[in-house]
Amino acid sequence: METRRDVFQAIADPTRRKIINMLATTPQNLNAIAENFDVTRQAVSLHIKILTECGLIVIRQEGRERYCSIQPRKLAEVADWIEPFRKMWDTRLDRLGAVLRTMNKKSKSSKKK
Amino acid sequence: MTEIQPFIVERFYKAPARNVWRAITEIAFIREWYFNIPAFRPEPGFEFSFESKDCNEAKIHHCKVIEVVKGKKLSYSWKYEGYAGNSVVTFEIFEEGKNQTRLRLTHAGLETFPPDLLERKNIKEGWNWLIDTSLRNLLEQTPGKFIEHN
Repeated sequence: METRRDVFQAIADPTRRKIINMLATTPQNLNAIAENFDVTRQAVSLHIKILTECGLIVIRQEGRERYCSIQPRKLAEVADWIEPFRKMWDTRLDRLGAVLRTMNKKSKSSKKK
Repeated sequence: MTEIQPFIVERFYKAPARNVWRAITEIAFIREWYFNIPAFRPEPGFEFSFESKDCNEAKIHHCKVIEVVKGKKLSYSWKYEGYAGNSVVTFEIFEEGKNQTRLRLTHAGLETFPPDLLERKNIKEGWNWLIDTSLRNLLEQTPGKFIEHN
Protein backbone atom coordinates (compact mmCIF):
# COMPACT_ATOMS: atom_id res chain seq x y z
CA MET A 1 0.00 0.00 0.00
CA GLU A 2 1.29 3.42 -0.91
CA THR A 3 1.83 5.68 2.04
CA ARG A 4 -0.30 8.72 1.79
CA ARG A 5 1.11 12.07 2.70
CA ASP A 6 -1.70 14.47 3.34
CA VAL A 7 -3.31 16.26 6.23
CA PHE A 8 -5.28 13.18 7.24
CA GLN A 9 -2.12 11.15 7.54
CA ALA A 10 -0.63 13.99 9.54
CA ILE A 11 -3.39 14.09 12.15
CA ALA A 12 -3.88 10.33 12.33
CA ASP A 13 -1.31 9.89 15.10
CA PRO A 14 -1.75 11.19 18.67
CA THR A 15 1.89 12.25 19.00
CA ARG A 16 1.64 14.22 15.79
CA ARG A 17 -1.56 15.87 16.99
CA LYS A 18 0.27 16.89 20.16
CA ILE A 19 3.13 18.32 18.14
CA ILE A 20 0.66 20.28 16.03
CA ASN A 21 -0.95 21.64 19.21
CA MET A 22 2.43 22.65 20.60
CA LEU A 23 3.36 24.47 17.44
CA ALA A 24 -0.03 26.10 17.05
CA THR A 25 0.93 29.18 19.03
CA THR A 26 4.69 29.49 18.60
CA PRO A 27 7.39 27.93 16.41
CA GLN A 28 9.76 25.75 18.44
CA ASN A 29 13.02 24.02 17.87
CA LEU A 30 13.31 20.29 17.55
CA ASN A 31 14.89 19.75 20.99
CA ALA A 32 12.17 21.69 22.76
CA ILE A 33 9.53 19.60 21.05
CA ALA A 34 11.28 16.32 21.86
CA GLU A 35 11.54 17.22 25.56
CA ASN A 36 7.78 17.07 25.84
CA PHE A 37 7.57 13.42 24.89
CA ASP A 38 8.58 10.20 26.56
CA VAL A 39 9.49 8.63 23.26
CA THR A 40 12.97 8.84 21.79
CA ARG A 41 14.21 11.89 19.95
CA GLN A 42 14.43 9.74 16.82
CA ALA A 43 10.75 8.89 17.10
CA VAL A 44 9.85 12.55 17.46
CA SER A 45 12.08 13.37 14.49
CA LEU A 46 10.24 10.81 12.40
CA HIS A 47 6.90 12.40 13.29
CA ILE A 48 8.31 15.80 12.39
CA LYS A 49 9.50 14.38 9.10
CA ILE A 50 6.02 13.01 8.32
CA LEU A 51 4.43 16.31 9.30
CA THR A 52 6.83 18.07 6.95
CA GLU A 53 6.06 15.67 4.11
CA CYS A 54 2.38 16.23 4.69
CA GLY A 55 2.98 19.94 4.30
CA LEU A 56 1.74 20.70 7.78
CA ILE A 57 4.95 22.12 9.21
CA VAL A 58 8.04 23.73 7.80
CA ILE A 59 11.54 23.52 9.26
CA ARG A 60 13.78 26.55 9.23
CA GLN A 61 17.46 26.36 9.99
CA GLU A 62 18.70 29.20 12.24
CA GLY A 63 22.34 28.77 13.09
CA ARG A 64 22.56 25.45 14.89
CA GLU A 65 18.88 25.31 15.68
CA ARG A 66 16.13 23.92 13.52
CA TYR A 67 12.81 25.62 14.10
CA CYS A 68 9.50 24.02 13.26
CA SER A 69 6.47 26.11 12.51
CA ILE A 70 2.96 25.25 11.52
CA GLN A 71 1.33 25.86 8.15
CA PRO A 72 -2.16 26.80 9.31
CA ARG A 73 -3.61 26.86 5.82
CA LYS A 74 -2.85 23.20 5.44
CA LEU A 75 -4.49 22.38 8.75
CA ALA A 76 -7.54 24.32 7.66
CA GLU A 77 -7.98 21.73 4.92
CA VAL A 78 -9.06 19.22 7.55
CA ALA A 79 -11.49 21.61 9.16
CA ASP A 80 -12.88 22.54 5.75
CA TRP A 81 -13.39 18.95 4.86
CA ILE A 82 -15.07 17.97 8.11
CA GLU A 83 -17.19 21.11 8.40
CA PRO A 84 -20.11 20.15 6.12
CA PHE A 85 -20.39 16.81 7.87
CA ARG A 86 -20.26 18.45 11.28
CA LYS A 87 -23.03 20.82 10.27
CA MET A 88 -25.07 18.02 8.79
CA TRP A 89 -24.94 15.99 11.98
CA ASP A 90 -25.48 19.01 14.23
CA THR A 91 -28.61 19.88 12.31
CA ARG A 92 -29.92 16.33 12.23
CA LEU A 93 -29.25 15.72 15.90
CA ASP A 94 -31.00 18.98 16.80
CA ARG A 95 -33.99 17.74 14.90
CA LEU A 96 -33.77 14.42 16.69
CA GLY A 97 -33.99 16.36 19.95
CA ALA A 98 -37.18 17.97 18.76
CA VAL A 99 -38.65 14.60 17.83
CA LEU A 100 -37.74 13.14 21.22
CA ARG A 101 -39.42 16.06 22.92
CA THR A 102 -42.67 15.41 21.12
CA MET A 103 -42.38 11.72 21.99
CA ASN A 104 -42.05 12.66 25.65
CA LYS A 105 -45.09 14.87 25.47
CA LYS A 106 -47.11 12.14 23.83
CA SER A 107 -46.20 9.57 26.45
CA LYS A 108 -46.93 12.02 29.27
CA SER A 109 -50.32 13.03 27.93
CA SER A 110 -51.30 9.43 27.34
CA LYS A 111 -50.46 8.61 30.96
CA LYS A 112 -52.74 11.35 32.21
CA LYS A 113 -55.70 10.00 30.29
CA MET B 1 -1.32 0.61 10.23
CA THR B 2 -2.38 4.14 10.83
CA GLU B 3 -5.90 4.97 11.66
CA ILE B 4 -7.65 8.19 10.88
CA GLN B 5 -9.61 9.56 13.80
CA PRO B 6 -13.30 9.28 12.99
CA PHE B 7 -15.66 12.18 13.30
CA ILE B 8 -17.58 11.95 16.59
CA VAL B 9 -20.36 14.06 18.02
CA GLU B 10 -22.22 13.46 21.29
CA ARG B 11 -25.51 14.80 22.54
CA PHE B 12 -27.46 14.51 25.76
CA TYR B 13 -31.19 14.23 25.41
CA LYS B 14 -33.81 14.52 28.11
CA ALA B 15 -35.53 11.39 26.97
CA PRO B 16 -35.51 7.72 27.88
CA ALA B 17 -33.00 5.58 25.99
CA ARG B 18 -35.88 3.53 24.59
CA ASN B 19 -37.29 6.60 22.83
CA VAL B 20 -33.94 7.45 21.30
CA TRP B 21 -33.69 3.93 19.93
CA ARG B 22 -37.18 4.17 18.50
CA ALA B 23 -36.40 7.56 16.92
CA ILE B 24 -33.40 6.17 15.08
CA THR B 25 -34.97 2.87 13.99
CA GLU B 26 -38.69 3.42 13.35
CA ILE B 27 -39.45 4.79 9.92
CA ALA B 28 -42.11 7.30 11.02
CA PHE B 29 -39.65 8.94 13.43
CA ILE B 30 -36.68 8.60 11.07
CA ARG B 31 -38.51 10.64 8.45
CA GLU B 32 -39.23 13.40 10.99
CA TRP B 33 -35.64 14.24 11.83
CA TYR B 34 -33.40 12.33 9.49
CA PHE B 35 -33.90 11.71 5.80
CA ASN B 36 -36.75 10.65 3.62
CA ILE B 37 -36.04 6.95 3.62
CA PRO B 38 -38.59 4.64 1.95
CA ALA B 39 -38.24 1.90 4.57
CA PHE B 40 -36.00 0.85 7.38
CA ARG B 41 -35.39 -2.32 9.37
CA PRO B 42 -32.71 -2.58 12.03
CA GLU B 43 -31.31 -5.80 10.60
CA PRO B 44 -27.79 -6.43 9.33
CA GLY B 45 -27.79 -6.45 5.54
CA PHE B 46 -30.82 -4.19 5.18
CA GLU B 47 -30.16 -1.64 2.45
CA PHE B 48 -31.67 1.78 1.94
CA SER B 49 -31.05 4.79 -0.24
CA PHE B 50 -32.09 8.40 -0.08
CA GLU B 51 -31.42 11.71 -1.69
CA SER B 52 -30.15 14.62 0.34
CA LYS B 53 -28.58 18.03 -0.13
CA ASP B 54 -26.96 17.95 3.29
CA CYS B 55 -23.46 17.85 1.90
CA ASN B 56 -23.32 19.81 -1.30
CA GLU B 57 -25.91 19.54 -4.09
CA ALA B 58 -28.41 16.69 -4.07
CA LYS B 59 -26.74 13.34 -3.92
CA ILE B 60 -27.99 9.81 -3.69
CA HIS B 61 -26.82 8.09 -0.54
CA HIS B 62 -26.56 4.34 -0.30
CA CYS B 63 -26.51 2.65 3.07
CA LYS B 64 -26.39 -0.90 4.34
CA VAL B 65 -26.92 -1.93 7.94
CA ILE B 66 -23.78 -3.52 9.37
CA GLU B 67 -24.43 -4.01 13.07
CA VAL B 68 -27.41 -3.90 15.38
CA VAL B 69 -27.36 -4.21 19.16
CA LYS B 70 -30.97 -3.65 20.04
CA GLY B 71 -31.49 -0.50 22.05
CA LYS B 72 -27.78 0.29 22.13
CA LYS B 73 -26.01 0.40 18.81
CA LEU B 74 -26.79 0.80 15.15
CA SER B 75 -24.26 1.14 12.39
CA TYR B 76 -24.49 1.27 8.65
CA SER B 77 -22.30 1.97 5.67
CA TRP B 78 -22.78 5.29 3.94
CA LYS B 79 -21.62 6.11 0.44
CA TYR B 80 -22.48 8.45 -2.36
CA GLU B 81 -23.64 7.38 -5.78
CA GLY B 82 -21.10 8.33 -8.43
CA TYR B 83 -18.28 8.93 -5.94
CA ALA B 84 -15.51 6.76 -4.64
CA GLY B 85 -15.16 6.08 -0.95
CA ASN B 86 -17.21 4.47 1.75
CA SER B 87 -17.89 5.53 5.31
CA VAL B 88 -19.62 4.08 8.35
CA VAL B 89 -22.18 5.86 10.49
CA THR B 90 -22.67 4.51 14.00
CA PHE B 91 -25.21 5.51 16.61
CA GLU B 92 -24.53 4.45 20.18
CA ILE B 93 -27.04 4.97 22.96
CA PHE B 94 -26.01 5.29 26.60
CA GLU B 95 -28.61 5.38 29.33
CA GLU B 96 -27.42 8.03 31.76
CA GLY B 97 -30.59 8.20 33.83
CA LYS B 98 -34.28 7.47 33.71
CA ASN B 99 -34.92 10.39 31.43
CA GLN B 100 -31.39 11.18 30.35
CA THR B 101 -29.72 9.61 27.35
CA ARG B 102 -26.40 10.21 25.69
CA LEU B 103 -26.15 9.62 21.97
CA ARG B 104 -22.81 9.24 20.31
CA LEU B 105 -22.62 9.56 16.57
CA THR B 106 -19.49 8.36 14.82
CA HIS B 107 -18.91 8.97 11.15
CA ALA B 108 -15.77 7.09 10.18
CA GLY B 109 -14.05 7.05 6.82
CA LEU B 110 -14.80 10.59 5.66
CA GLU B 111 -11.23 10.77 4.39
CA THR B 112 -12.00 8.05 1.82
CA PHE B 113 -14.27 10.42 -0.10
CA PRO B 114 -12.73 12.36 -2.97
CA PRO B 115 -12.18 16.09 -2.43
CA ASP B 116 -14.61 16.98 -5.23
CA LEU B 117 -17.45 15.47 -3.20
CA LEU B 118 -17.79 18.79 -1.49
CA GLU B 119 -17.68 21.86 -3.63
CA ARG B 120 -17.42 24.83 -1.42
CA LYS B 121 -19.88 27.16 -3.10
CA ASN B 122 -22.64 24.62 -3.06
CA ILE B 123 -22.00 23.66 0.52
CA LYS B 124 -22.43 27.22 1.61
CA GLU B 125 -25.65 27.73 -0.28
CA GLY B 126 -27.07 24.44 0.86
CA TRP B 127 -26.25 25.09 4.43
CA ASN B 128 -27.49 28.61 4.49
CA TRP B 129 -30.78 27.35 3.21
CA LEU B 130 -30.98 24.53 5.68
CA ILE B 131 -29.97 26.58 8.68
CA ASP B 132 -31.91 29.70 7.81
CA THR B 133 -35.14 28.02 6.90
CA SER B 134 -35.83 24.48 7.96
CA LEU B 135 -33.82 24.41 11.16
CA ARG B 136 -34.96 27.83 12.27
CA ASN B 137 -38.58 26.89 11.69
CA LEU B 138 -38.18 23.69 13.59
CA LEU B 139 -36.50 25.28 16.57
CA GLU B 140 -38.83 28.23 16.76
CA GLN B 141 -41.87 26.04 16.60
CA THR B 142 -40.54 24.01 19.48
CA PRO B 143 -40.22 26.35 22.44
CA GLY B 144 -38.01 25.78 25.43
CA LYS B 145 -34.51 24.55 25.69
CA PHE B 146 -34.50 20.84 25.32
CA ILE B 147 -31.12 19.96 23.95
CA GLU B 148 -28.18 19.97 26.25
CA HIS B 149 -24.95 20.29 24.42
CA ASN B 150 -22.12 18.31 25.83
